[in-house]
Amino acid sequence: MMRVLTTLAALLALAPMAQALESAPVSSERATVTLIADHEAIAPGQSFRLALRQRLAPGWHTYWINPGDAGQPPEVSLTLPEGARAEPMRFPAPERIPYGPLVNFGYEGEPVFIIPVTAPAGLAPGQTFTVSAEGHWLVCERICIPEEGSFRLDIPVEAAPRPAAATAPLFTRAEAAEARPSPFAARLGFSGQAGAIEIAGPDIAPGAVREAFFFPVEWGVIDNAAPQPLSVRNGALRLGLTRGQAEALPARVEGIVAITDAAGVRGAYLVSAVPGAVPAGGGAGLPLWQAALFAALGGLILNLMPCVFPILAMKAMALARLSGAAQGAVRAHAASYTAGVVLSFLAIGGLLVALRAAGGVAGWGFQFTSPAFVAGMAWLMLAVGLNLSGVFAIGGPVAAGGSLAARGGHAGSFFTGALAALVATPCTAPFMAAAIGAALAMGTAEALTVFAFLGLGMALPYALLGVAPGLARLLPRPGLWMERLKQGLAFPMYAAAAWLVWVLAEQAGPSAVLMVLAGGVLIGFGAWAWGLAQRSGGRFGRLAGAAAVAGALALLPLVQGAAPAAARAADAGSEPWSEARVAALRAEGRPVFVNLTAAWCITCKVNERVALQTDAVRRVFAERDIAYLVGDWTRGDAAITALLRAHQREGVPLYLFYPARGGAPVVLPQILTEGIVLQAITSPGDAT
Amino acid sequence: MTTRITRRAAVTGAGALLLAPRLAAAAPAIGAPAPDFALPDQDGDIRRLSDFRGRVVVLEWTNHDCPFVRKHYNSNNMQGLQRLAAERGAVWLSIASSPPGEQGHVTGPQAKELTAARNAAPAAVLLDHRSVAARAYQATVTPHMFVISADGVLRYMGGIDSIRSSRVEDVARAEPFLRDAMLAVIEGRPVARASTQAYGCAIKYVDA
Repeated sequence: MMRVLTTLAALLALAPMAQALESAPVSSERATVTLIADHEAIAPGQSFRLALRQRLAPGWHTYWINPGDAGQPPEVSLTLPEGARAEPMRFPAPERIPYGPLVNFGYEGEPVFIIPVTAPAGLAPGQTFTVSAEGHWLVCERICIPEEGSFRLDIPVEAAPRPAAATAPLFTRAEAAEARPSPFAARLGFSGQAGAIEIAGPDIAPGAVREAFFFPVEWGVIDNAAPQPLSVRNGALRLGLTRGQAEALPARVEGIVAITDAAGVRGAYLVSAVPGAVPAGGGAGLPLWQAALFAALGGLILNLMPCVFPILAMKAMALARLSGAAQGAVRAHAASYTAGVVLSFLAIGGLLVALRAAGGVAGWGFQFTSPAFVAGMAWLMLAVGLNLSGVFAIGGPVAAGGSLAARGGHAGSFFTGALAALVATPCTAPFMAAAIGAALAMGTAEALTVFAFLGLGMALPYALLGVAPGLARLLPRPGLWMERLKQGLAFPMYAAAAWLVWVLAEQAGPSAVLMVLAGGVLIGFGAWAWGLAQRSGGRFGRLAGAAAVAGALALLPLVQGAAPAAARAADAGSEPWSEARVAALRAEGRPVFVNLTAAWCITCKVNERVALQTDAVRRVFAERDIAYLVGDWTRGDAAITALLRAHQREGVPLYLFYPARGGAPVVLPQILTEGIVLQAITSPGDAT
Repeated sequence: MTTRITRRAAVTGAGALLLAPRLAAAAPAIGAPAPDFALPDQDGDIRRLSDFRGRVVVLEWTNHDCPFVRKHYNSNNMQGLQRLAAERGAVWLSIASSPPGEQGHVTGPQAKELTAARNAAPAAVLLDHRSVAARAYQATVTPHMFVISADGVLRYMGGIDSIRSSRVEDVARAEPFLRDAMLAVIEGRPVARASTQAYGCAIKYVDA
């Protein structure tokens, strides 16, 4: 009964628009298809929009202009009154639809394909603009069914156009689903089967991109099903591509790059590139085998680190003494040690990957663009450097490692391995940082591989000793050279700290640099006091050290808050958002546009560039005296979070327009076009 | 013993991780030897590509219920091409890759019935129920066409013609890619378009 009523209600709702706005449907159990118009009545000479609207049953899909491995895009041929012109049908940005080992490009749900039309100027009010259309579309689930149908719309011609409120949301959604002109520069190239596309733009940063995929318009450019490994650095992202079956590449490769940002919002951008050299990967874009090789090499070098070498040396001596013992026993010890190291590194890698996954969900990625994070890293580098210089010591773990290393048995070997890995971490920050950076840009399996090889590299010397214990005699004895090596290694740390301060200067300006340098002095004092206490005993030194470090940490919020004003406001003519300011402006009777954005939100930045800062939009803002308030969520402001929650959003972007006449704000879509913004801010009754 | 297993497990684990990203076999390539296969035909006899060395071979991936395949059988285009191949001494092999329970699945007797009912003329219908040949050729759709020269080299892969629709009336208007390629290979001429876009219904693969 209920269902009958709902159906009836839906039919009634449709009835008034059946003639002019939405054609009679062509229906199957797979798809309900109509032709729709965005005007109830058009004026002579007017441009307006028609669209093919498909409502697909769950599991069924239709296709993009390049359907991928199988399928066929929909086709519509229009018959229009004499003198009318239609542009080619536009396609929404596609999704990847995997089917076994194949991948298709297409749509599920409710795709809408817009066809712009211009009516002839010679029409007279009172006439009817009749549209007839023949459509063909293939709809597939596990099987494919070609469908076809005829549609007809009779649109009245009047002196003034009447936009249709009923179909407006469909057209708005369809526009938002289309790929937008890209603010990015693209480079693409292949060498043999392997290639890549690089998308460069100032808004792209490692914390801001979660996923990306390249859809070429033409068949055969890429292997549709091949994975496109993503690597992101500041200012560019790179997708690895595999060449498809077309014999020659087109002179210009056109396509769409779909980017999902840290907040989970997917944006699609038109890109176009003349094929050239393969865009080089950044450090993070190394092929896996190279990353693994470097990781193994890095692991090998870890053995020379002052924290680790004593343990290794001690075990090596023990082994050398054991050389009379059964080879099997020695090898078993080596295997246990190797397992201990590799599993520990895998645990560290797994923890990182898990953190990244959790962070992605919580929008954690942007921490890397946070000034406080950069300042903290600079201090950490400084502290590690001071430690290497001998200002203070980290004794605990090494001593524990030593006592465990002295223990016998396989468990002893295993835990020695695990401890060596753990102990290695504090004094090997640069290697770990590189590995962590690479891991953050890689897939889970790749990241874990890199960490496993880091462990294998570290375990290698000991494993070799297990196979050939005689080699132990060739090891250099622990001695003064180790201390000198350690002190020498402090300088790369200081250099890293200096570089981070420069990053911070770019990010947050001179006052933040002052804060981070003051914090550095405090860290230096703390390290000195702590080291003094370590050498000569006494509680005062430790207390003073801890107090100094606490003092430095207390500076962090200041660093965070020191960002220059220019970095906050999205553009000129805007003012910062606050609940009170909105209320005050509305009390004055002014319309208010609210833009909630963040520095790391690509979708927001592109929206601002293509839809909010265009001349046409600025002009309407000025004409109608619309106040433009920007809420910057880069640092997770609590009041903005509350406003987002109030609109059932987990993150930015969120655009609200408060009409001058009062009432609830209009919520704009997350993907904006100039048309969507203009329509929202000029809707009837909002003129002041 | 335990430790030996530990070590082997560690090494094997790391090796597997390294190999994991891409296990896919080499893609079929124009000018390279065509992948061999051994598949039962409609009578249960095993046929190998290498059995036909010395003759031009045409492969046709098929699914008799796919609208794109029906387009070319209902228009008699496919049967005409099969007879042309036979007249010119080429071997036409139709390959049905649909596994049991999927559209297009046929047994040997059903394949014979279909051939008779549609007045088709393939040299044989091969049953690829495990998607082995489909995987080797990276066949994606039905119909997906391949031409192999007498020396066993892949000379053409792609669509049957240029108009990617399921409408019978488009057959006459389309550029006949497969026909052109097949005749070129039979006559020893270079193939003008050796790789084109195949169109049709996705092939139903069995999980590897």
